[in-house]
Amino acid sequence: MPEAKDPLRYFRIEARELVDQISSGVLDLDQRPGPEPVAQLLRAAHTLKGAARVVKQKEIADHAHAFEEILVPHRGEAAVPMAAEEMRELLRLNDEIAARVGALEKPPAPPAVAAGPAETPAVPEREEITVNPRAATADLDDLLDAIGETNTRMAPLRTGCDTVERLHRTAEGLADQLRAGRTGAGAQASAERLAGELGSASRRFIDAVDQIERELDDVRAKAEGLRLVPVSTIFTALRRAVRDAADAEGKRVRFDARGGQIRMGAHLLGPVSGAFLHVVRNAVVHGIEPEDVRLATGKPAEGTVTLEVERRGRYAAFRCADDGRGFDLEALRRTAQARGLLAPGGTTPETRDLLDLVLHGGISTAPAVTEVSGRGIGMDAVREVAAQLKGEVQVRSEPGAGAVVELVFPLALLAMTGLNVEAGGTLATVPLDVVRGCVRLSAEEAASAAITGRIVYDGSAAPFLPLTEALYAGSTVPGDAPGLGAAVVMNGDAGLFAVGVDRLAGTSVLVARPLPDLAPASPVIGSVSVDADGNPRLVLDPQGLADEVARGHAAGARTEATASAPLPILVVDDSLTTRMLERSILESAGYEVDLAASGEEALEKAGARRYGLFLTDIDMPGINGFQFVERTRADPRLAGVPAILVSSRASAADRDRGRAAGASAYVVKGEFDQVQLLSHIRRLVVRS
Amino acid sequence: MSELTVAERVARLREDFDRSFAEPARVSGGESIELLAVRAGGRPYALKLTQAAGVHPDRPVTALPTTVRPLLGVAGFAGIVVPVYDLAALLGHPIPDRPRWLLLTAGTPPLALAFHGLDRHLRVPVDCVIDSVIGDGCLRGVVRLPDGDRAIVDVPATRALVHELAGQRPVPEEIR
Repeated sequence: MPEAKDPLRYFRIEARELVDQISSGVLDLDQRPGPEPVAQLLRAAHTLKGAARVVKQKEIADHAHAFEEILVPHRGEAAVPMAAEEMRELLRLNDEIAARVGALEKPPAPPAVAAGPAETPAVPEREEITVNPRAATADLDDLLDAIGETNTRMAPLRTGCDTVERLHRTAEGLADQLRAGRTGAGAQASAERLAGELGSASRRFIDAVDQIERELDDVRAKAEGLRLVPVSTIFTALRRAVRDAADAEGKRVRFDARGGQIRMGAHLLGPVSGAFLHVVRNAVVHGIEPEDVRLATGKPAEGTVTLEVERRGRYAAFRCADDGRGFDLEALRRTAQARGLLAPGGTTPETRDLLDLVLHGGISTAPAVTEVSGRGIGMDAVREVAAQLKGEVQVRSEPGAGAVVELVFPLALLAMTGLNVEAGGTLATVPLDVVRGCVRLSAEEAASAAITGRIVYDGSAAPFLPLTEALYAGSTVPGDAPGLGAAVVMNGDAGLFAVGVDRLAGTSVLVARPLPDLAPASPVIGSVSVDADGNPRLVLDPQGLADEVARGHAAGARTEATASAPLPILVVDDSLTTRMLERSILESAGYEVDLAASGEEALEKAGARRYGLFLTDIDMPGINGFQFVERTRADPRLAGVPAILVSSRASAADRDRGRAAGASAYVVKGEFDQVQLLSHIRRLVVRS
Repeated sequence: MSELTVAERVARLREDFDRSFAEPARVSGGESIELLAVRAGGRPYALKLTQAAGVHPDRPVTALPTTVRPLLGVAGFAGIVVPVYDLAALLGHPIPDRPRWLLLTAGTPPLALAFHGLDRHLRVPVDCVIDSVIGDGCLRGVVRLPDGDRAIVDVPATRALVHELAGQRPVPEEIR
């Protein structure tokens, strides 16, 4: 049907918004009765009734009218409280209206199997809350504003085109003069004027194009943001599920949800919402105790189920907690034994192991399969969704105090504001929400920060690492980088830390996506975004950076628990004295060291064990150091292990040859500087 | 027969034109094979065009900090971020020069191979290609050309090596 002829075009949009308002309004009213939610619901239902009549949607109008009829006696200050039966009827009408509005949104489908032989399955298969990726009106307005803004920036370009045209004519006139041999002062003056005007026109063009580029960048980011849906869109359906489950069980349960402003792709939110429908129902049915039991144990009569959504770096965490009785560990143990999952009479399993069974074994603590909460289905659903989204599930339970189910998964697309920084010629982005501040560094301050590994900020010394050391681990920093000019101070789990950058390059709104398959990167890289030119830009992971700074900082004695251990170092030298000297230096710096007395022996050892670094002499009988480096670079399995050449040869030609062979650093024995050697190693060594 | 009237020439052109549509489309690979003659790390190779999804010069590659040495970084292709591997390094003879060309490979997940020079595009009869596995397996077959033989880089085998280096087995299915 052509759009213009579709009489329901606007009604669908309006009705969907009104239904959303009604659905959440009914639940508000259920939890916090009062004149305000009643008034809001009446307004929404009344508007819907009117609109539905206009487009001849009689059923929707009639249901909206019935809805109003129930509410009318309860409006105003001195209202009669709602009876439970009335509340149920409101919810039922809400569902009817939602279903009919939903049906209008779907293209006419082949008639579904009506009441017939198809039995309703006892267990719902994969339930999902419909997550509509339609954009909120406010977001669309923002986008339209940004497009309008970009349009207005076209005006100077348009004027510029006229100017260019005029200058073109002037230039032609001048050319005519010159052709006619009129090369006097007049021609020179007009040539100079022309040059001047061209100069200013060119500056205006550059400004205008720069501005348009920035505006378009903004437009692109806003448009990409439209692909993301706020988490709050699923809250109403979850509240409703809690409400219905509580009603069926005769319990009173409050549902709290936090973190609704976080946005993510509809393809993630859909499956997660489905799993959490089960989780919240389970919490009500299995977790929250009947009112009398709660009162007897000193708990409030009303149970609480809380859903908290959080963004942790590039991960999202959905955590559902209840204040019920916790998992019935004894019942779990019995069921597990009956199913042969635990050996009868064996040692008493740890709580942890039992909870793992809940997660993995498809068993449930419920004494019977109930209408709303099937046996073990909730946990199966969460586990499946976790596998699908490459996430992780954790279950915690405290007998008598409640249970927590947490799902953490990587976000595919993530809208964020980033601080762009440049280090060693690479432009990267730091999520702005972890940035505490930026400090400009003088050359002396930069040198001091790099040497001490600390920077004073806000009266305390924060661990500091030049970003290049994290970005160029395992390779050579380009020689033409300007050097440290600023420090970015960030909040980490273990306190403030700072990275040194060459310069700050402004902030931008961006949509970060995970690194592609086949691109394993250091943990300092969290994700990647695509800039206005279509080129990838690295987005740094604050936690990965914090670990890297801590690791760079743990220059020996202090090792962070979070830092992974460096792989052993293979020292290759035909001189026993050098081997022993290097071993003692490396071992006292905390590295594990293997020794090889020749290039051949080293190749053999390198093939048999994973090393984090090769430290090799050049002049050796048989395979020399250059050849050893070349051969290891040529083997894709060894090429990832950085190599440092240590030699008494100090000429530039030898350094060049070393670089050409693929060595990551070159240390001259005569200038042997232990600190410098260790700093190279710290920067380069591969960690497990 | 040398002098044709304009009308005859038009008629002949029209016939040729019509016949070109009447004939079945020529299938490349049937009797001939299309190759790209490239240079990687200073050595000549050939790549089968059917194993490529595109060739792009001078596309910016964003370097990634990584322990996988042949992984140069990532590049953007129509909004998709694609890992870029140095072909010379994968074949075991890296050179310090940054490769200029990117070959977007056929298959999934997306993967681009970087090489230093594009010599030319070739269509050669199938019997110029001698099929044999050379060395570690990234090379498969040799094409005989007037200016010398070129080993053919087998993109699927190279992809398998990349999967191994990246620690990702080419098994798309999740094992539950």
